[in-house]
Amino acid sequence: MATRGDRAAVDRSRWDRALDFLYFGSKALGKRLSLALLDVGAVAVLWILTSYVVIRVSTGEIGYTLLPWWLVALGAVEAAALWESFGRSFGHRVARLELRRADGGDPALRQKLVHWLLWHVGVIPVLPLLLAPPPHERASGLTLRPFTMEGRIPRPWWRTSTGLYMAYLALVSIVAAVSGTITWEDLVRLFTNAGATAKFWRSFLSPDTSIILRTVQALIVTVFMAMTATAFAVLVAVPLSFLAARNLMRGLIGRAIYTVIRGTMSIIRSIEPVVWAIFFLVWVRVELAPFAGVLALFVHSVSDLTKLYAERLESIDPGLIEAITATGANRLQVLRYAVIPQIVNPYISFTLYRWDINIRMATVVGVVGGGGIGQALFFYLKGNLWTQAGTVMLFIIALVWAIDYLSARLRAKLA
Amino acid sequence: MAEPYLVVEHLTKVYERGHVVALKDVSFEVRKGEFLVIIGLSGSGKSTLLRCINRLIEPTKGRIFIDGVEITKLSPRQMRKFRRRIGMIFQHFNLIKRATVMTNVLTGRLGYNPTWKTLLGIFPRSDRELALRNLERVGLLEKAYVRADELSGGQQQRVGIARALMQEPELLLADEPVSALDPATSHSVMQYIEQMNQEDGVTVLASLHFLSLARRYGTRIIALKDGELVFDGAPEEIDDRKFKEIYGEEAEEVEIR
Amino acid sequence: MAVKPSAAIDAARLRRRLFALFLDWLTWGYVAYAVMYFLQEYWWSRTLYGFYNPLTLPGWGWPAAVLGTLAMAALCELTGYSLGERALKLERREERPLSREELLTGKAAGKPFWRTQWGVMSILLLALTVALGWHVVKISPEALLNPSERAREMLGEIFPPDFRYFFTPDPAFELRGFPYSILNLMVVTVFMALLATVLGAAVALPLSFFGARNIMGVSPAGWFVYGIVRGFFNVFRSIETMLWAVVFAIWIRWGSPLAGIMALTVHTIAALGKLYSEQVEGIDPGPVEAVVAAGGSRLEVIRYAVLPQVVPSFWAFTLYRWDINVRMSTVIALVGGGGIGDMLFYYKNEGEWALLGAVMATIVAVVWAMDYLSGRLRERIV
Ligand SMILES: Nc1ncnc2c1ncn2[C@@H]1O[C@H](COP(=O)(O)OP(=O)(O)OP(=O)(O)O)[C@@H](O)[C@H]1O
Ligand SMILES: [Mg+2]
Repeated sequence: MATRGDRAAVDRSRWDRALDFLYFGSKALGKRLSLALLDVGAVAVLWILTSYVVIRVSTGEIGYTLLPWWLVALGAVEAAALWESFGRSFGHRVARLELRRADGGDPALRQKLVHWLLWHVGVIPVLPLLLAPPPHERASGLTLRPFTMEGRIPRPWWRTSTGLYMAYLALVSIVAAVSGTITWEDLVRLFTNAGATAKFWRSFLSPDTSIILRTVQALIVTVFMAMTATAFAVLVAVPLSFLAARNLMRGLIGRAIYTVIRGTMSIIRSIEPVVWAIFFLVWVRVELAPFAGVLALFVHSVSDLTKLYAERLESIDPGLIEAITATGANRLQVLRYAVIPQIVNPYISFTLYRWDINIRMATVVGVVGGGGIGQALFFYLKGNLWTQAGTVMLFIIALVWAIDYLSARLRAKLA
Repeated sequence: MAEPYLVVEHLTKVYERGHVVALKDVSFEVRKGEFLVIIGLSGSGKSTLLRCINRLIEPTKGRIFIDGVEITKLSPRQMRKFRRRIGMIFQHFNLIKRATVMTNVLTGRLGYNPTWKTLLGIFPRSDRELALRNLERVGLLEKAYVRADELSGGQQQRVGIARALMQEPELLLADEPVSALDPATSHSVMQYIEQMNQEDGVTVLASLHFLSLARRYGTRIIALKDGELVFDGAPEEIDDRKFKEIYGEEAEEVEIR
Repeated sequence: MAVKPSAAIDAARLRRRLFALFLDWLTWGYVAYAVMYFLQEYWWSRTLYGFYNPLTLPGWGWPAAVLGTLAMAALCELTGYSLGERALKLERREERPLSREELLTGKAAGKPFWRTQWGVMSILLLALTVALGWHVVKISPEALLNPSERAREMLGEIFPPDFRYFFTPDPAFELRGFPYSILNLMVVTVFMALLATVLGAAVALPLSFFGARNIMGVSPAGWFVYGIVRGFFNVFRSIETMLWAVVFAIWIRWGSPLAGIMALTVHTIAALGKLYSEQVEGIDPGPVEAVVAAGGSRLEVIRYAVLPQVVPSFWAFTLYRWDINVRMSTVIALVGGGGIGDMLFYYKNEGEWALLGAVMATIVAVVWAMDYLSGRLRERIV
């Protein structure tokens, strides 16, 4: 739809102008500031992780600073200044930029020194970045320009500063992660205490047949929980997705609605269904356990489906919209004959996918008391009834497997 | 026949994104019943020009008159009404792939029917009959209830023509209608368009990539180069020198039979 | 010789017919289940742990149910009112070209959806499902509209959240031998996800080549390994991380981060392994042929033809998994996996809503940031 695409282009620039306002109308400021922030942040993260490791290993305590905070901050800023002036910094890489002479040649040492010295004056107070070019670049005769490999030979990663940085970062974060989470006793138990789970596995071979009917009924409840949650979620997510599609929401008001919906959805999505279940169990009282579970799944599904649907809407073929518009159709007719036919199948496919996920989640949600098979599992686990717990687990595995297979087959058919 | 049917005056189109000037001060006139072919290199602005004429794209500057109506002045609502008189067919057919041929053809009547009915998929009997007759005309009656994506490219384009026919248009815009088809199919599709032009008196504006097709079907040719009108005249007037002027020095003419 | 193909076609048709019958049988079984459920709820009112269980039938009930539903299915088959046949796109129609008249008058279009047998039956089934679902999961709008006392109290206290224990450890957890502040535990949580992702990806990467048909499908032994690896992926993937956490909590220690890491790792290996190997199966065979033609060995084929094609999507999947692991690790403590969830569930049990609010806010911020970061990186890569 050229009209829409075209108008979207105009809107985008209006939106950009609104963003410009945040940068005090200066793209240059935004670019250089984010560059500096990236570099300072990168150095700071590395330093904090290093401190964490050193403190943890030497004293066994948890701590994030070996030195006072202000010293760390100063050090990070200074390191960023050096990095940006004398090498290709992390930020340069991310933004695909590099520092070159005006004639395109490699910077000379004198120019780098000037750049470094004046960096403090140009970047730290922020406002000089409004000048184009800012003082450190003007005085050194260097400019930031898009990086290109043309006519150059790549260096191996270990000879670039960013490569070394990433390697060191990876190393230090793994060491920090290990020292922060794993204790020696736990590790010993991991290798020696596998026998503790034997009773559990044994039940897989000899399940408790007396609870089968009860378990199957719980399984059915779980399937219905997932189904109900998905069905209601679809009813809400379909209309929302139209409001959350960037290409349909134009103009400042449209963009505001888009931003609010997308933002809310991503916040809702970052809380796991289990936590939502806890919330709704309090809300609707425990006797209505399956309903609370359904609500939890519903809320999470709405946010997930809205995102998936909207992304699909954003990638529809504009040609058909153009064709239907050209017949003299109005907006609603275009929606009905050009947009909807393109999204029906993908929507169904996403819904099946979500249903599949909801079945898995429903088993987990049950563990906090959200009803269905998960609740049965937790009941047996709490009572140390390992055989029964193992049996229930067997059923869960079978169910998840079956649904996974079914939904994959159906989705393959739809594609 | 003094009064021209379509008048384009000083048409300019600038795409904000990338600041592309797609059309620069283009002016020309078309008489009723003409078969006007637009040629030009890829990116010369042919599609943009055609889409400006039914305002799928808003022109930046300039005026367009159709049958004495200044369509560049119409409100969006009026423009929608006016679009019923302008049929359009596309390079990639732009059919509803998952719907039947019948539904696709019926969408040509959307502008004539009340919205609530069309939203439910209800079209009057007369429209259905017209659709079947138009399908018969393009030789696809048998395929009426087949899904559109089960058809071959040439058949799909014929469905596109039937859809345009449903509008009972006075003007047909065809944006590279045969670029995605093989030579033999191209001719069959072009003949249906020619038939519309000659039997129903529909004025046709078609952009084509092959000069041989343009010479064979066009009654007049205009050429665009980088958004500027560089040629306007009879097909015979395009000689070797003119050709090089339009397509650049390196170009060789390719025949399509 | 001419007989053989038609016999094969007949066998195939028979199989499809039988499958259609099976689908009908399932449908009627479902209807029978629904009827029993409503009978129990309104008539017998026999409950077990607060649940109706329509599956508890008297001794003669099961054979009767099986035979009854089978009879119904067969009846449908015979009278042509069969959902199964429709679902498998089997139709009984005499083949005859339509005349021009019929086409022009639109006879060929058929009845509208809701007037076909298929339409009627599926609408009835849908209505039944809605009714049944409503009862089974105990949907209750009034419960939703009238929150409990405790919920009001919770809503009243959760805003504003109390960030008292963001930096300073909460003394309530003194016995755990680890300073339980939100910051410390959030760091531990992210570390858990990091280790699980790195470990999982490192194991899944080599395994995925053994689970790819186009690499392994050259010899019977290869097929055997392929089957084992794929089977492992499928079984381990269908056991949720939370269930793995239960196992490892018994194995190692309740509340140990290592238990959480192991649970996440096992599931990550299976999930990533499947995604990776599907990616390997979907590569363009052209470069493989080119390397083989140049005399490359099996390992060289992987190094120069397969890896370059799959590395970007491997990265994308890994980042995606990292995102999932961060989310999961925030709640894995529920089943003894350690991390920030420990505080979350403790405060929930104690009804410390304001403190809970602070934990939730932190989780949302971190998960959101990680989601954003991994999303941006994935965009870059693909
Ligand atoms: N939506 C748009 N936004 C920005 N620029 C565009 C847009 N559509 C077209 N352009 C630019 O306008 C110019 C003219 O494009 P147009 O599609 O009209 O050319 P064309 O002659 O139809 O080419 P082709 O033969 O390839 O279809 C091109 O430079 C193109 O890049
Ligand atoms: Mg074009």
